[in-house]
Amino acid sequence: MSVLPDDWALPALDARNERWFTSQSIAVQRCSGCATRQHPPEEICHRCGASSFDHDVLAPTGTVFSFTVAHYAVNRALADSVPYAVVLVSLDEDPAVRVVGNLPGVPCEDIRIGMAVEAYWEERTAEDGTVIHLPQWRLR
Amino acid sequence: MRGAAVVVGVGESTYYKRGGSPDTEFQLACTAIRRAVEDAGLTMADVDGFTSYMDRNEPVRLSAALGVGPLNFTAQTFGGGGNGAAAAVTLADAAISAGYAETIVVFRALAQGQFHRYGQAGRVRRARGAGAFTAPYGMLSAAQICAMQTMRYMHEHGITQDSLAEIVLAGFEHAQRNPRAIRYGTPLTREQYHASRWIAEPFHLYDCCPENDGAAAIVVTTRERARDLRKPPVAIVAGAHGLEHRGGVPAFADPTFPTAYHRHVGTKLWERAGCGPKDIQVAQFYENFTGPVLIAIAEMGFCEPGEVNDFVADGNIRWPDGGLPINTAGGNLGEAYIHGFGNVVEAVRQVRGESTCQVPDVELSLSVSGPGYAPGSAILFGKA
Repeated sequence: MSVLPDDWALPALDARNERWFTSQSIAVQRCSGCATRQHPPEEICHRCGASSFDHDVLAPTGTVFSFTVAHYAVNRALADSVPYAVVLVSLDEDPAVRVVGNLPGVPCEDIRIGMAVEAYWEERTAEDGTVIHLPQWRLR
Repeated sequence: MRGAAVVVGVGESTYYKRGGSPDTEFQLACTAIRRAVEDAGLTMADVDGFTSYMDRNEPVRLSAALGVGPLNFTAQTFGGGGNGAAAAVTLADAAISAGYAETIVVFRALAQGQFHRYGQAGRVRRARGAGAFTAPYGMLSAAQICAMQTMRYMHEHGITQDSLAEIVLAGFEHAQRNPRAIRYGTPLTREQYHASRWIAEPFHLYDCCPENDGAAAIVVTTRERARDLRKPPVAIVAGAHGLEHRGGVPAFADPTFPTAYHRHVGTKLWERAGCGPKDIQVAQFYENFTGPVLIAIAEMGFCEPGEVNDFVADGNIRWPDGGLPINTAGGNLGEAYIHGFGNVVEAVRQVRGESTCQVPDVELSLSVSGPGYAPGSAILFGKA
């Protein structure tokens, strides 16, 4: 179940975000040199300046830290999608990591800060055939 | 701090609803600049620099069209949208204090009828960089971004929808005394506010800045040059522009979230000015949306986060009886949304004694720019 049209924006994959958007896991960028975690991924480590990275796979659970319900369609292509909610999820295993997503299974008016959620992955295919797995959220 | 630079002129075009301007954005810019220079009692030949933020009217073209010159200095701030308004004044102050220019026009022109609308988002097939983590989920507009900040801040500090309304009602009430204001003659009630449609919860329609066409400018020069000009100069007491450590992490993952990006700005401003929030008689707070104003009031040190509801209640932010009247020309919501530069012009007017909601004997007049988008900025004007 997708809250936005199937042809709405998808991530452009790059070396830093590819694992996040294709591995169906919460793979957070981790510096190969000093093991500092950072999300969203950056081109250099903010602690030691290194530019090679691994990933920490964290538990796909968290809580709703904040949200908004978009009622106004900022693009005509979204006219049939509003109202839709965007949630910000703080991960249980590392609350400093916050992840933007949707919570399609919960009516917008019922969404509350503090709700316990878990990730699932929405499969989408870009126009060039690239398969992307977008992390999304549901109640747990 | 009080550098070598002072403000000697202000100017504005007519303000229009989006699409209502008979003039192009460039023409609006030229009108505001001409009026500011005339107000100062200077000529275009006296102007030797321009500063702005996110503006597409380039000083090269402006200086040729307006007959400015020779040109000695131009600069714009990086990033941050409307919070460049105060920062652009600090650029002029820095350049003049350092001797790189003598007379700089700080301006912003914005015609959303001619160019793209800030309330809308283009269609992107593939989102890059930090946008890859937000755009696919429909997190697209400034309203939605500031809504995410505000929702968390309201939750943490018990801030009510009525406190958001107070920012709107103050702006609309003050606009009723300002004939330049787009909302002049169209007051708003609390009931109309609450009944207005949602844009992005917790923001109703009236929590959001309108889309307008217009331009505004001020003229900054040296204290020496100001001596024989038309009006008494206004001092640039202090300015600040910046971010806390790692405050620029995108996609709501910065350690300071939820924030209006003004904690560090507040600390630096008061340190440089040698005074504090209690010394301020009148303030302009950039309202892209109401929520970031409430956050910025607390981050600038006017009250604790848990005291925001009380601070804005009971007319405390309204002219003439409030303890801290804000947005006294109507602000972005009531006067016009020229990316917040009207708030800078109004802060200067309060020191000059020329506001339509004039606070008596203003010694220190604050303008806080663009909360909700990093980096923050603020500028403090005062009697020269």
